[in-house]
Amino acid sequence: MRLKALRPYGLSLVIVMAMTMGLWLLRDFLTLANFTTLFLFAVLVIAIWQGIGPALVSAFVSFVSINFFLVRPLYTLIVADPRDLLDLVVFLVVAVVGGQLAAQAQRQAADARQRAFEQEILYRLTRDLNQSMTAGEVHTILTDTLWRDLSARQVQILPEAGGSIEGSEAVHYVLLQVGETVYGTLCTAFLEPLSAGQQQLLNACASQAAMALHRIELNERALRTHQLEQADRLKTAILRAVSHDLRTPITVIKTSASNLRQLLQQLSPDQQLEIAATIENEADILNDLVGNLLDLSRLQAGAVQLNRAANSLEELAGDAAARVWQRTGQERVRLVFPEDLPLVEFDYGLALQALSNLVENALRYEAPDSAIELRGEIGGDEARLAVINHGPNLTPEERARITEPFFHGKQGKTGLGLAIAKGIVEAHHGRLQIDDTPGGGVTFVIVLPFNRKEEAQHEAQNPGGG
Amino acid sequence: MKLKILVVDDEPQIRRQLEIALAGYGYDVVWATNGDEAIRKTAQLSPDLIVLDISLGSEPDGIEVCRSLREWSKIPVIMLSVHGEDQTKIKALQIGADDYVTKPFNVQELEARIQAVLRRTSTEAAANPKAEVRVGDLYIDLANRIVRVAGEEIHLTPTEYNLLRVLATHPGKVLTHRAILNAVWGPEYGEMDQYVRVFVNQLRKKLRENPARDVRYILNEPGVGYRFVNIT
Repeated sequence: MRLKALRPYGLSLVIVMAMTMGLWLLRDFLTLANFTTLFLFAVLVIAIWQGIGPALVSAFVSFVSINFFLVRPLYTLIVADPRDLLDLVVFLVVAVVGGQLAAQAQRQAADARQRAFEQEILYRLTRDLNQSMTAGEVHTILTDTLWRDLSARQVQILPEAGGSIEGSEAVHYVLLQVGETVYGTLCTAFLEPLSAGQQQLLNACASQAAMALHRIELNERALRTHQLEQADRLKTAILRAVSHDLRTPITVIKTSASNLRQLLQQLSPDQQLEIAATIENEADILNDLVGNLLDLSRLQAGAVQLNRAANSLEELAGDAAARVWQRTGQERVRLVFPEDLPLVEFDYGLALQALSNLVENALRYEAPDSAIELRGEIGGDEARLAVINHGPNLTPEERARITEPFFHGKQGKTGLGLAIAKGIVEAHHGRLQIDDTPGGGVTFVIVLPFNRKEEAQHEAQNPGGG
Repeated sequence: MKLKILVVDDEPQIRRQLEIALAGYGYDVVWATNGDEAIRKTAQLSPDLIVLDISLGSEPDGIEVCRSLREWSKIPVIMLSVHGEDQTKIKALQIGADDYVTKPFNVQELEARIQAVLRRTSTEAAANPKAEVRVGDLYIDLANRIVRVAGEEIHLTPTEYNLLRVLATHPGKVLTHRAILNAVWGPEYGEMDQYVRVFVNQLRKKLRENPARDVRYILNEPGVGYRFVNIT
């Protein structure tokens, strides 16, 4: 280390000696003004190249060398001509001052370069950190920067405050901290001790990383809060439903049953039948509602296990249409399917429930003498099943909120059917699209992801006999 | 003589209502409250049919009871299940249950299933099964492999015909996708359930089903399989 620090001085001495020797050979042709100018040049070069110390040393050595080797009488420090003495003194002053100025300018330029380099590193780091979404990404980005730009030998990020790193190299510990919160400790090892500037850079990198970790934590917290809020809204909706929608059928069932019990003698057989039918009907409504509530809460909790298989959309639509016939005795559904629509992956039971809910909703707003339309098609990597109604249009606000549980719109209340349909479609990584029907009405489209596969058109090899 | 039905359910209210309803339809009803009692009473009383709840609230459950019954008895079993338990329904059918009804059910519907299962088990035992099937506009001559819809002969491929035959010879019975695949394509087709769906689709078009008017011969059991309409 010591020798290394002395090298610039040795180097400047060598330069001065070499110049002295060269000029000594030419001493008969040159004047003192030539000597001082050339030495001044050398001192400035040394100042810019090697810094202020070597410059000062070379200035003094030059002064002595000129005096001893080049100014008459030679080989003494005596100066014959007083004008030469003036030249020499002026040389010394100019060399010292000039050397200092040159070295200073050079140092400032170097500092500016270093700062620009550090800012570039910090800028890149900040940019990458701003795009990071997880703590793991932040760690990787920070580690990469320290390896690449600061030439760290070892980088570790420990989850807690404190910790240590093996090795005899220069080790630095920096807390990743924002305010009171510590996100870990950054341990770095370098081959050489860091300069003050490098240490500052290391600290700046660490604090940028800590801020990124802080931002990610805040984002996660906001997301959790949003989820909780949604769950809370659902709970409120369910409570409202329990107090009204569940109680109505229970009240009807209880009144009907107690009428039967207390007034049986006075009731005509027709009235008795009517009351029994009411009880059965209201129990069905109650059963649907409880089933829907259970399904919706399972869907929202992500607790639904999909029983996915290659299924036919046409078969699904046929099932939904047949149910409408069974319930109403009318052909109120028109099926429009291309020949050879390929099979699509979905859970048949759940999809049937979603489609039935959409069909029921569409029929509610369809004129009694008109039919809704179920239309299936494949487009690109999507399978689409449209439920087309020709009733009134939705306002933009209704369209945005119609799939919320128990949404109250101008045209009445939606209950849970549409919310469940949406939940089921989304559980399939699909989406429930709501469009206007050309000419008036609402079209709900179940859009499911579709992978085109080999068509399964397989005749049996040995059609089983018997 | 009255047919005897064993009702197995752990809920006394449901047991009581089933007893009233089935007695009303003219059956002799006996009951059991848990799986062990169900097996014991089956052995002692030899009922003609068992209505068995899948979840009995204690071990063994309905599935276990059915499995151990099938080790020594062919007595018809109708399981009571809950909405959404498709895999349980498939399992029940695989271990030998004859049918299932989903709670809450209409008693009329349960009675229709009981009738269908009893009729099926008695015809299966008979030496000469029917040589033809008639339902709605559909006519199948099993001996000569002829299919007609509204009097017009329909051309089916061998696989389509076999599919129709397998379904139509089990009217009212749920057949799982896997069972149909095995019967028509053979066990080496393993898990290619989608063949069944594609061919049922084709077959339906040829049979001119119209679901919008509920004109159907092959009914879906969502998540489980297919059921040929009941022939009464």
